[in-house]
Amino acid sequence: MCDGRLTGMSTALTPEHIALRDAVGDLLAKRAGESEVRRLMTEDSGYDADLWSELAAMGVLGLTIPEEFGGAGAGSAELAVVSEQMGAALLCAPYLSTAVLTPYLLATLDDSAECTRILPRIAAGELVATVAFAEAGDTRPPQHPATEATRVADRSWALSGEKTYVLDAPAAELFYILAQTPTGAAFFAVDRSAVSVAPLATVDQTRKQGRVVLDGTPGRLVGSVGTARPALETALDRAGIALIAEQAGGAMKTMQMAADYARTRFQFGRAIGSFQAVKHMCVDILLEAQSAVSAARHVAAAFDAGEPDRHIDLALAQAYCSEAYVTAAATNIQVHGGIGFTWEHPAHLYLRRARTDAQIFGDPAWHRERYVRLRENFLVEEMS
Amino acid sequence: MSDDDIRAEVRAWLAENYDPALDRGEWSRRVFDAGWSAPSWEPQWGGRGLTERHSRVVAEEFIAVGARGSGMDRSDLLACTLHDLGTEEQKQRLIPPSVRGETRWCLLYSEPGAGSDLAGLRTRADRDGDDWVVSGQKVWTSFAKTADYGLLVARTDWNVPKHKGIGFFIFPMRQPGVEVRPIHQITGESEFNEVFITDARVPHANLVGEPGGGWAVLQLALAYERRLMGDLARTSRASRDLKPDADSLIGMARSAGKLADSFVRQEIARVESYAAVNRWNTQRAKATTDRVESATLMALGKIAMSRILHETARVQTEIVGPESMLTGPDNPLGDAVTFRTLNAYFTSIGGGTDQIQRNIVGERILGLPKEPEPFKDTAFRDLPTGS
Repeated sequence: MCDGRLTGMSTALTPEHIALRDAVGDLLAKRAGESEVRRLMTEDSGYDADLWSELAAMGVLGLTIPEEFGGAGAGSAELAVVSEQMGAALLCAPYLSTAVLTPYLLATLDDSAECTRILPRIAAGELVATVAFAEAGDTRPPQHPATEATRVADRSWALSGEKTYVLDAPAAELFYILAQTPTGAAFFAVDRSAVSVAPLATVDQTRKQGRVVLDGTPGRLVGSVGTARPALETALDRAGIALIAEQAGGAMKTMQMAADYARTRFQFGRAIGSFQAVKHMCVDILLEAQSAVSAARHVAAAFDAGEPDRHIDLALAQAYCSEAYVTAAATNIQVHGGIGFTWEHPAHLYLRRARTDAQIFGDPAWHRERYVRLRENFLVEEMS
Repeated sequence: MSDDDIRAEVRAWLAENYDPALDRGEWSRRVFDAGWSAPSWEPQWGGRGLTERHSRVVAEEFIAVGARGSGMDRSDLLACTLHDLGTEEQKQRLIPPSVRGETRWCLLYSEPGAGSDLAGLRTRADRDGDDWVVSGQKVWTSFAKTADYGLLVARTDWNVPKHKGIGFFIFPMRQPGVEVRPIHQITGESEFNEVFITDARVPHANLVGEPGGGWAVLQLALAYERRLMGDLARTSRASRDLKPDADSLIGMARSAGKLADSFVRQEIARVESYAAVNRWNTQRAKATTDRVESATLMALGKIAMSRILHETARVQTEIVGPESMLTGPDNPLGDAVTFRTLNAYFTSIGGGTDQIQRNIVGERILGLPKEPEPFKDTAFRDLPTGS
């Protein structure tokens, strides 16, 4: 596994990273506190349009969008810095789908007309878009989508089928649908007005999902037929970096909640954190959370540096960060005792988010299997 | 001066002076006189006043060509402790021969009755003229047979609370009244020793600090020891590359015909994720300029390493299966996994148990309160002993 000795990559935050982190952190502290999270949990759209505009004005929505399409053209390291803050705040917004996954997909599909049409609007906060790839029973892309596309004319197609686990579908105005054509899989842009979207009843109400039903729905071919699968894999890997950074940020937040509570809650005439049984739980969360942060920053740096075994590291990090966040959020509830069992306390919101994050881009077991598969290939290449 | 300047200078010096055939004593003197023994110290102690960072660069260059004798400002715990807290006379008498490798040291801290609670030690030191007379039993001492000196903590005053009645001595090992017996460890090896001390003597001139001030000296010596352990862990990890290694879990599973077993594959990835995040923690600790961030990550390293070692041994056991019941030359894999299973306790118990380490991290890093200490003000001789 790479440690960057060849490329001189560094996982240290630069002064620019720290400024970005603090700017986003301050904004979210002011505008996306717990009461705001709870308000947006109950709303269908699941995000605040004014805050979305402010994130656009700060350049956060266009962070990873190339400069030629109105973005900042920043790397994974910057994305990770921002995502840590969003994860810690449980930000309710379609960031991962609209500002991360969609731009990475369009850039990889290499459809410059679509990029020109869409990416500047995303960077400006004018458009919520998402990628609909999964089908029932699996959050990873299907090998052969059951959703089918039939050609009507030139780039114009008709789509039929069902997509599910679609991130931020309730708020999305534009969908990129993975569908099967007679000659291979492809992506099709479909307008909100043309489809039926059913919100999913999610355990985590801070991250909306939906089911998209297509029935002869008109779609515009994006990229070319046959390139969809590899492009999606690439985009999911890049977006996976944002997800592990969110998980790391959330884990750090639950660690702080646990330690703060253990310092201030008194029982038997002393702070509960003075009991080793509680103290050791807090330290175990600290190890998980700090390790998740290191993993997210390392993988971000490895992708920015183009390290040859970055996908091996990513697979391991996705499995690790998923479980680290779930463990940290769950242990935080235990440290809080009775109050942590109440709906009014935010501890459970983090566990709900953690359990969702551990599924949306593939579960930990899927990433572990991918890791071993890549390692086997890597070993074979090294030996030959 | 940049890292590269130092690197170039030490490389040039090594190219000109290093000869593996050279007598060890002669080589050590050359290294000392050139100021490479303890590069961050002053010239009279074998240094040349470099920064700690540059001192590590020098040590790396020595290791790279296989030359001994540098890095003593990190690895010679006797010299490190005296360099900070010894008297001028102690420093002149004891540091140069130690740094040159002419004298060797060992650590006389733990006792059968003082493990996690080191301050509960009962080895006694009683003043007798210009000497102290020492009696007691120490344990877990490496290199006790070859050492000239032991860094010894012993009780000088039984009428004050436990932390306040301890002296720190540079104790001569080669004398009647010092008996070294190897400990037979659960792995079958004998790396450590017990040291029985009966009416042995140490000159008052070898007391470091005040008679009741040994606990503070010990804290410094332990901090240097932890830093050294960290260095050793880092060098051993840095030398580990991803390569087709029959000893890797994947290689081991393949040889055992179990690489297609999805349970084994999951377990391999899980345990390798522990090792990977620990490497990434270490890299981040080294890369950051934030001292709190770095200290936090370093403090977690020991707990993380325990998990890696125990879990690796567990997964290896899954892979090896029934051979893990067997030992001896006909069962090399079984032998190896049993050794690793048992040797993992070296890390999770040695140098302070993981539970004590969690207390330290909880208190120093997370700011959680200590356990109440009901005997904080009780004279040592009045403490309950349970026996």
